[in-house]
Amino acid sequence: MPHLKTVYAKFQNDPNVAFLLVSIDDDSKRLERYLDEMKFPFTVLRASSAEMQRAMGFNDLPSTFYVDRKGIVRYQILGFEAHGDSDARVAWYIDQLKHGKTH
Amino acid sequence: MKKTFLILAAAAVASAIGFAQSSSARQQLARGREAWDQRLTKTAIEAVQEATRDPATAAEAHELLGIIYAFKGWQQDNVFPGFHDEPAYREKALAELQAALKADPRRFTARQAQIVAEGFAAADRVDPMLRRPAITLLDAQIERGRSPDVPIGELIETLQTRMKAQADATPYFAGAQVLIDRGEYNNAITLAEHGVPVAERFIQENLGAFQMEGKAEGALMRSRAQAADIVGWALYMKKDYAGAATKLEEAERLYRGDDFNNQFHLAELARAQKQSDRAREHYLDALSLTAGPPAVRERATEELAKLYAAGKKKSKPFKAWLDAQLIARQNDRKKADLKSRLDTPLPKLNLTTLDGKPYDTSSLQGKVLLLNFFASW
Repeated sequence: MPHLKTVYAKFQNDPNVAFLLVSIDDDSKRLERYLDEMKFPFTVLRASSAEMQRAMGFNDLPSTFYVDRKGIVRYQILGFEAHGDSDARVAWYIDQLKHGKTH
Repeated sequence: MKKTFLILAAAAVASAIGFAQSSSARQQLARGREAWDQRLTKTAIEAVQEATRDPATAAEAHELLGIIYAFKGWQQDNVFPGFHDEPAYREKALAELQAALKADPRRFTARQAQIVAEGFAAADRVDPMLRRPAITLLDAQIERGRSPDVPIGELIETLQTRMKAQADATPYFAGAQVLIDRGEYNNAITLAEHGVPVAERFIQENLGAFQMEGKAEGALMRSRAQAADIVGWALYMKKDYAGAATKLEEAERLYRGDDFNNQFHLAELARAQKQSDRAREHYLDALSLTAGPPAVRERATEELAKLYAAGKKKSKPFKAWLDAQLIARQNDRKKADLKSRLDTPLPKLNLTTLDGKPYDTSSLQGKVLLLNFFASW
């Protein structure tokens, strides 16, 4: 998770890029402690686990979806990816979509 | 050129196999053997059965039938992907080979085929579970502990004996469920919680048996889920609804929302807390899963009927509404299993901010979005 903060530093002033983190924690206290520790610089939301799994079709965490400017899901990384959780990889996905490339 | 030739060749085989009826037993047998070489078993069996009626070909035909049935009964599973063995043919295989030897006691190939088939049959009689009778007996004794006639002390003693006999977590989880039935909620909670490290140890000791890391991981998750569900249900029985909610929802997360008992427990909890909408959703989720004892399914259906009758919107009779709901849920589950979200619009998601206000992703339209789902655990 900390790598997302690193990548965000690159995009934080870009009006065409948004980061959204969604916690599916049930335990509010635990989530609060985690967020205090992580101090994420972007929006963190909450949702029901079962509902999100059904809506987005993931069954592992963390799961990341990259959505293009037209609102279409273009990449999905379900669970930890072997080399995909590096900040370079995350930035690559975002850059692809920023420049209108899909796959 | 090559393609035409292949099609012609295929047509020739089909006609040779197809149009040879009402011929002599010898011809039937030849036709059956040809079909069998092609593994066209239905045609082969029909032809060879004809040939068993003529004493001149009986021994050979019974032998061939025996071989075909042995293939269907014990072997085809391993030969063709997607095929499964048809156990109904096993007895038939042995009978045909016996008939072959009766027709010609000196028939060496039939004797060989019989030895092979008897070997398969003998292997079948070995119970692959290799459950030791003592364990089976103790598990049954634990179940009998549901009856109030069995003193609690005796039940606990049975559980302890079972724990010493074999190191799996069954006595912990099954025992905890029995203890809930007996009103021993605190003992049930302690037992279920102790079951988790026991299950972990048992899985670690037998890791190779799971073949895939994901499967072992799944087994671990299920034992954690089972413990959380049992503890949650015991807390519900103690009327500690807040505690019950935490544990039952933890189980729901670990089960990924698809365990019948867990959904039923969540429904009962929501009903006790007078949250009709949530109760209805969980009852529907439970019933849309094809598990659960009939009595519990019936109870879930009754409770749903009451909620439906008390609700406002009643466009259909209850049964029609229920069927439509269950089918819709099963379809949703199938879609979620099969389809990824790639190249589809981001669906509308029910999100809230940290202080509980609704959040709409359409405010981000026109931006590239990184959407990350996580949990702090």
